[in-house]
Amino acid sequence: MELIIIVGVIALLALFFVAQYNRLIRLNISVDEAFSQIEVQLKRRTDLIPNLVETVKGYATHEQSTFDAVVSARAKATTASGVADVAAADGALTQALRGLLAVAEAYPDLKASSNFLSLQEELSTTENKVAFARQFYNDNVRSLNTAVKTVPTNLFAGFAKVTEREFYEVSDPQERNVPKVTF
Amino acid sequence: MAAANFRAAQAANKGKTYFLLASMGLLTGLVVYAALTYFGAGTAGSIVPISVGLALVGVWGSYYGSDKLVLTMTGAKLITRDDNPALFNVIEEVVLASGLPMPKVAIVEDTAPNAFATGRNPDHALIAFTTRILEVMDRDELQGVIAHELSHVANRDTLVSAVAATTAGAIAILSDFLMRMMWFGGGRRDRDSNSNPIALVLSLLVLIMAPIAAALLKSAISRKRESLADATAVSFTRNPAGLRKALEVLASDSTVVRQKSNAVAHIWIESPLDMRAASRLFSTHPPIEERIATLKAMESLGS
Repeated sequence: MELIIIVGVIALLALFFVAQYNRLIRLNISVDEAFSQIEVQLKRRTDLIPNLVETVKGYATHEQSTFDAVVSARAKATTASGVADVAAADGALTQALRGLLAVAEAYPDLKASSNFLSLQEELSTTENKVAFARQFYNDNVRSLNTAVKTVPTNLFAGFAKVTEREFYEVSDPQERNVPKVTF
Repeated sequence: MAAANFRAAQAANKGKTYFLLASMGLLTGLVVYAALTYFGAGTAGSIVPISVGLALVGVWGSYYGSDKLVLTMTGAKLITRDDNPALFNVIEEVVLASGLPMPKVAIVEDTAPNAFATGRNPDHALIAFTTRILEVMDRDELQGVIAHELSHVANRDTLVSAVAATTAGAIAILSDFLMRMMWFGGGRRDRDSNSNPIALVLSLLVLIMAPIAAALLKSAISRKRESLADATAVSFTRNPAGLRKALEVLASDSTVVRQKSNAVAHIWIESPLDMRAASRLFSTHPPIEERIATLKAMESLGS
């Protein structure tokens, strides 16, 4: 009889350990997945840029410094790795793109061209997607960090080799304002 | 009722749903007990399983095939990215915010602005828009509507309403059986002789009132799920103003969706039924002014 109770208690404890361990691993994987989603959207944005720059160049020939700023920010964004670097490069590129779109405002012919309009739609939806992917990532990091710091999951964090993760933070507070485009 | 922020609103509405579902369970227990008292173990032992079985078959068939069934019932047509790239862009944005898989997208030819979501799980989700809603809403408003619909998917509201409909359905069928048996004067033959008359009268009362109570509970659950979806939508977009403006557009528009079948009324974002005719207690949606006020309270918090 005692043996059954002991075995039962051990089995319950084992189940409990497995559940905590798996929860941490799952949270860790969702953070990784959320981060790769940010990277997918950033990649899509960098792919759009050469086309956009060419289109704007066709109309606005005297804006070389703006183009250079975008091209160099793009180059930095493509080589960045690690959460903090990617976030910094992302912020710089958003800034440069905003400059480019501001330049476009001064050229009515450019603004009316269908090529530019479709690029602008693609760019703004990609900006929104970057912002949402970032938000989703940070939500996942928040859940993971809470689990790493609170009982009972914190007791298993070392064993599962799961540690607190970095939030994806964009320095410029304006960055959080998703560009508004009419539908 | 204006909950402070979206997290508090989500928690409150989830809590209320559990309470209502528990009340539904309690009501079912009460009805079964009343049936046992009134009819005795022999008769109740056969009609209770039959009622539950009938309700299960009816509701769960439509739950399982909800995405396909609703397409036929509402006349919605599935579309692909090429049909409306801008709409797909906005949907993909909210999908990223929610972490859900991309749903199927459909369009209903209709002059009333409205939208709905269905599907038994996130992998079989479908969201549909009327042609009119795409004309009258700007990008922010549409984003709010999409977030509300995807919230129904995330919160598994097709499942919640299937559970509610099964219980209400089983109770209605049971009560119907009772009425028929009373007309034929049978039913109580095999009951124990020691039942007292007060218990019999009370059981009868329970069996008669139960379908109404179940219908009220079903509507109450639907209303709570709508409030929950509004709160979850804000957790996706962090932009209560978008959904609030969208609801204002819907509130100012008096046209209602052409097909007014009660059976699918609960799935639309705005109730397609005429509110003045339907009593508030039986309505599937909270009053739109109340929803707008709750979202405004969230805006002022800057959540």
